[in-house]
Parts: sequence; structure tokens; C-alpha cells
Amino acid sequence: MEAMYAFFMDKAGMGQAGAHVTVAAIMATLMFIVMALCALVFTWMERKVAAFLQSRWGPMRTGRWQGWAQAVADMLKILGKEDIIPAEADKALFIFAPLLVLLGSLLAWAAIPWAPGFVAADLDLGLFYIFAVSSMVIIGILMAGWASNNKWALYGAARGAAQMVSYEIPLALAAIPVVMYTGSLNTQDIVIAQQGGIWNWFIFRNPFLFVSFFLYFVASIAETNRGPFDMPETESELVAGYHTEYTGMRFAFFFLSEYANLFLVSMIAVLLFLGGWWAPIPGLDFLPAALTFVIKGVLMVFLNMWVRWTLPRVRVDQLMHLCWKVMIPAALICTVGAGLWMMASGAAG
Amino acid sequence: MVQYFADMVQAVGSALQGMGITIKHIWTRPVTLQFPEERQVMPERFRGFVHNDMAKCDACNICAKLCPVDCIYIVTEGKGKDRLMTRYAIDYNKCIWCSLCTENCHTGSITMSHDYDHSVYDRRSLVYEFMDPNVAKIPCHRQTRIEQGWWVEPKDDKDEGGKGDDA
Repeated sequence: MEAMYAFFMDKAGMGQAGAHVTVAAIMATLMFIVMALCALVFTWMERKVAAFLQSRWGPMRTGRWQGWAQAVADMLKILGKEDIIPAEADKALFIFAPLLVLLGSLLAWAAIPWAPGFVAADLDLGLFYIFAVSSMVIIGILMAGWASNNKWALYGAARGAAQMVSYEIPLALAAIPVVMYTGSLNTQDIVIAQQGGIWNWFIFRNPFLFVSFFLYFVASIAETNRGPFDMPETESELVAGYHTEYTGMRFAFFFLSEYANLFLVSMIAVLLFLGGWWAPIPGLDFLPAALTFVIKGVLMVFLNMWVRWTLPRVRVDQLMHLCWKVMIPAALICTVGAGLWMMASGAAG
Repeated sequence: MVQYFADMVQAVGSALQGMGITIKHIWTRPVTLQFPEERQVMPERFRGFVHNDMAKCDACNICAKLCPVDCIYIVTEGKGKDRLMTRYAIDYNKCIWCSLCTENCHTGSITMSHDYDHSVYDRRSLVYEFMDPNVAKIPCHRQTRIEQGWWVEPKDDKDEGGKGDDA
């Protein structure tokens, strides 16, 4: 990043402001391309993982190898679809909602540290920023459900809002022990604190952090509205939930943001608990940092898919019970426990 | 309070148990067959499309008479040793795969094959003509036919039943 700033300021002769705008534009474009790519790859991966877990083949015909072109074909199909806005819908909100959902996930991607020094927005409050902007997705979902003027969409949106607001709390609480250890909310600092092998990753530092990882993982599934917590879009009861009335490109935005969010929470799990860009054992150092980071992220995504295609959907009351009566107390205990552990082991400053 | 923690342990345990079951299928080969390339091996007594071996058939008409839905069409001309078969057709639109024809065929020419994928665009295509279009007439009398070189009688023809023979 510093090299990029230096290039645009010295070589290209731009001012400081010009260099900042240029770098920001490049990074935003890059993030959007990566996001679109990951949606493409993960739709295919989701179908293949689901198929293999159920002893099926999944898509096999499109493209030569394992139906790899299925996602591309799906994307082309969705681009060619008619764009319908229901007659009774609130037009302005209906159009704006998918953009807001997408914006929420795209903004959060800015603070992801891909490699040492390579982060679109190197914020001191990086982690806080990620949790804050990813909450914008809730507003988009609520907006989509309300604007559709459809009872299923509204039910889905109301459930989605209730679920996501609730699960923000254990999600953030599970990250607090890590922040206590690091003493910083900067995403780069958090990764740097886990340097040197798998035993230095926060997940294995102490038992409370291990439980925190587990809590984070469960909360992140609920945050991304995926099974077994896919209450906002339960096919069997709510048609498709908040995006029932959406077609074509607007539906694609929801789809894109779902997979972008999936990868986002997986990457946050990697940077918080699984050592970010550091290789698990010193022998694997030759891999580029960004590649190590992405591989770990994809493995976390696989774990998410594995859970989704194994466990049955929970009821709304079970969902709320799990959040308020189990996960939040457990996260609080973990926070206190990790603090005491730090004092006992002399890690506290 | 004890129940609260017991439920927690049970929830985590059962979730892990379920995930252990599903992950096993990642390593095992899927049970789905890629149909046109891979085909299921049919059981020996599978009742596929009825097939008639024209070389053996002597147009005795038993199958046509037994057929509950009258889907077998046999046309012959002449009598006795000069009897000639001009048409043998089965209408698969009507066939109910009851296997009465194959069980009672005394020459063992009509059998249930293992074919099952004869999709057609027109239902008229499901009337199968078994006569070779280049051959207008086949003598029905067995001895005459052997003399004319239509069919050389196999030696172990005795125990050849009417079914299980892949066409």
C-alpha cells in the first residue's frame, strides 16, 4: 500500500489527495471483482459440497470438469431475466434495498488484511468498523421485506432483523478476548500478534479463546442467514423470505451479498482466531501471504457449508433461546475467563 | 441448572455426530449414476421391453392370443408347411409387461429384455416391427426354415427359458 501511494505521488506526480483517491478507487474495484468472483466460485462450491455430502454428484454437465461452468451459466441466466417491480411495491425502497445490502458487505471488505501492509482501509478501529458496517445489511433486508408489500417477504425481513440484531451481540462479544490479548482493534495488529506457527494462533492460546472461536462461528452462521439458522428465507414456510419478489439483477445483488458475507465472516474468523496470513507450520512459509489467508478463508467457508447441509433448521424460539440464554452468557464468561487467564499467565500489561 | 448444561453438551455432541456422518460421504463415491455413460445393472428377471427373436419364432400366435391388451400383431399367409409370416409387431403403447407371452412361448423366441430407455418423439414410433424390412416373408414351419438356412438349431436349446435373456 505504501508502495502504491509512493508510486502515485512521486512517479505519477499526483498530490497526496489525488494519490489517496486513486488508490482507494483501485482497491474498491479490486474488492468488488474479488467479491463477484467469490460469489461465482462459492455458488459452484456450495452445490458440489451439498451434493457430495448427500452422496450425489451435483452439476456435472456444464463445462468439462465437474460442471465448473454451471455458476457462469447461472449468472448469465440471471442477467438475462426480466426485472419485475410489483405494482403495489414501494418503488424507491424496492430499488434501493439490494444496493444497501450489497454496500454493507462491500464496505466491510475494506478492512480485511489480505497480506502484510495490503489492506484497503488500514483503520485503527478496523474490527469495530467491520462489525458496524456489516449491520447495515439488516436495514437493507428490512427495507426489502417492507417494500415488497408481500406478507412472506415481511415475515422474512422481520425474522431476519430480529435474528441478526440478536446475533451481533455474541459475535462481537466473542471477538473481545482477542482484542484484549492484542490490545488493538486494528485488523493488521491482530494478525501480527499471532505470528509464528499454529500454537500462536489465538484459537489455541487458552481454552476460553477456543470456546470464543466456537461461539463466533455459530454466531457468524446466524449473521449470514445460512442453515441451520436460515429463518429469514425458510423455503418451506416463507417461499424465499425477504427476496421473494426480487428477480434478475436485483436478486443477484442479494445473492452476491450472501456469498460475500459468507466469505467475510470466514475471513474475520481467520484473522481473529486462525492466524490470518501466517502459515500453520514454519515449513509452509513459501506460500504468498494472501494465498495462505484465502485458503484458510475457503476452508472456513467449507466448514460453513458442511454445517448448513448437515443440520436441520431450528425454530424461531429455539434460535432466540440459543442466542440470549446460552451464547451471550457463554461469551461473557469467556471474556472474563480470558482476562483472568491473561492475569494469571502474566500476559496482561 | 444441571439440565441447562446437559442440554448444551447434548446439542454440541449431536451436531458433531451428524457432521461426522455427512463428512463420510465426501470420501465415498456418490450413489448417483451418470445415466447415459453409466447404466444400472438390471436384475436378472427385470421386465424390460419385450423382444422377439425372429429366427426362432414360428408364428404360432400363442403370444398374440394370450396378450391381455392385444399388443402383438402377427400376420401370416398360407397353411401348413407353406405358411409364411409377413408381419410381427409389438405395440409398446399398449404393452403392460405382464410377461404372459414370454412364459408361454414354446420356442423361447419372445423374451423380456433389459432395455428400458426407448424414448421417442411420436407414439407411433413405439410400434416395433420385428421383421427385417428387406425380408418380406419368413417361412413358419421349422423344418422348412432350417432347410432354407434361416436358422441353425442350437444344441443346448432345451433349458433355454423364456426370460432372463438379455436381447
